[in-house]
Amino acid sequence: MPNVLFTSFSIRTITVLFVLVLGACASEPKSNMQMAVAEASVQHANTSSTSENANGQLQIALSKLDRARQAVIDKDYERAQQLAEQVELDSQVAELHAQSERSRKAAQETQNAANVLRDEINRKTPH
Amino acid sequence: MKNRYLYLATLSVVLAACNSMPANRNSQLDQATEHFKLAQGDSQVSALAPEELVRAGESLRIAELAWMNGDKTDKVDHLAYMADRRVVIAQETASSKTAQNVTASAAAERDKMRLEMRTAEADTAHQQLAVAKLDTLQKEGELSDVKDAAARSAENLERSDARVNDLEYQLKDLNARKTPRGMVVTLGDVLFDTGKSALAHNSSHNMDKLADFFIRNPQRTATIEGYTDNIGSTSSNYRLSERRANAVMKMLVDKGVPQDRLSTHAYGEESPVADNASAAGRQMNRRVEIVFSQQSGDVSEK
Repeated sequence: MPNVLFTSFSIRTITVLFVLVLGACASEPKSNMQMAVAEASVQHANTSSTSENANGQLQIALSKLDRARQAVIDKDYERAQQLAEQVELDSQVAELHAQSERSRKAAQETQNAANVLRDEINRKTPH
Repeated sequence: MKNRYLYLATLSVVLAACNSMPANRNSQLDQATEHFKLAQGDSQVSALAPEELVRAGESLRIAELAWMNGDKTDKVDHLAYMADRRVVIAQETASSKTAQNVTASAAAERDKMRLEMRTAEADTAHQQLAVAKLDTLQKEGELSDVKDAAARSAENLERSDARVNDLEYQLKDLNARKTPRGMVVTLGDVLFDTGKSALAHNSSHNMDKLADFFIRNPQRTATIEGYTDNIGSTSSNYRLSERRANAVMKMLVDKGVPQDRLSTHAYGEESPVADNASAAGRQMNRRVEIVFSQQSGDVSEK
């Protein structure tokens, strides 16, 4: 599951990256590239499941992306680069947190089902 | 390498402390280091997210290097933040995998329980089936007993029917007739010489049949009744009828019929069956009648 996630993550990242890099060859290549990665990461992480299970983490990534964009506008490219790097990891954290929440809920449900079944068996066979 | 940096870091901290200078530590870096140590000490994280943990360690080292190089605080802060995020990524990955393992083992447990339940149900069903089979067998046994009994009584009925049919058939051969008193066989006077009570020789065939009938129907009893015509005195006729009845009885006893099943009765000229005015009528009146008991009871007297 994580492998699949990261694979699709990489493909989308590379695609978006490619387009943006081509368009921004002339100026500030480094921060533009990292901005592209950040945009792609947030886009990938911004799903209903993530906003449901890891809303706080997602909001951090989104607001930081805004700040990075603003830094680019302000021509503070170093800051933009840093924020873009952070956005990439913040997006991953949001996604992973959402995933672990889903897994935790699934585990809870399965355990509950197992308990119900156990109760049922104990009730059916009182000896 | 790491030890040397650690050593240097420690040394600088110690030096800073010695100089009574304000702690020149980077709080973000300290926090990241603290988090990393926690994650490293967590067996779940080190077991389930080892690669992520290594990357977090590398990130942390880069941050420490930057700090030791005296890089700008915001750069160190940034690198420390990155390291901290990598630690969180390792932790989330581990907790995700832990939950997935729980799900898998709980599902396995549930499958196992389901199997146990099915097995138990199957066992119960088998037991119930066995009990039901036993029940069925018992009932079949009872049923066959009842059937046997029914068959036996039907057979008995058939046998007694056969016996009755046989009885009527046998007696029919002797020109028996049904009367309110029971089956009556009339032995005509041709069996006797006139005025004699000894049975004529040719009568023995009929007497054999009669004896045979008594032997085959051991519950039957009979009364042997003697009758005469009105020639001669009433008393002599009475004695004649008695002698003839006795003669018939003696012959039957001689042929093997137990005497206690036979009795005699002399009627003399009583109960003529025809007119004594003609020779033919008188001949019909000279007779011995054998009256068979209707069931096992007595022959009703006239």
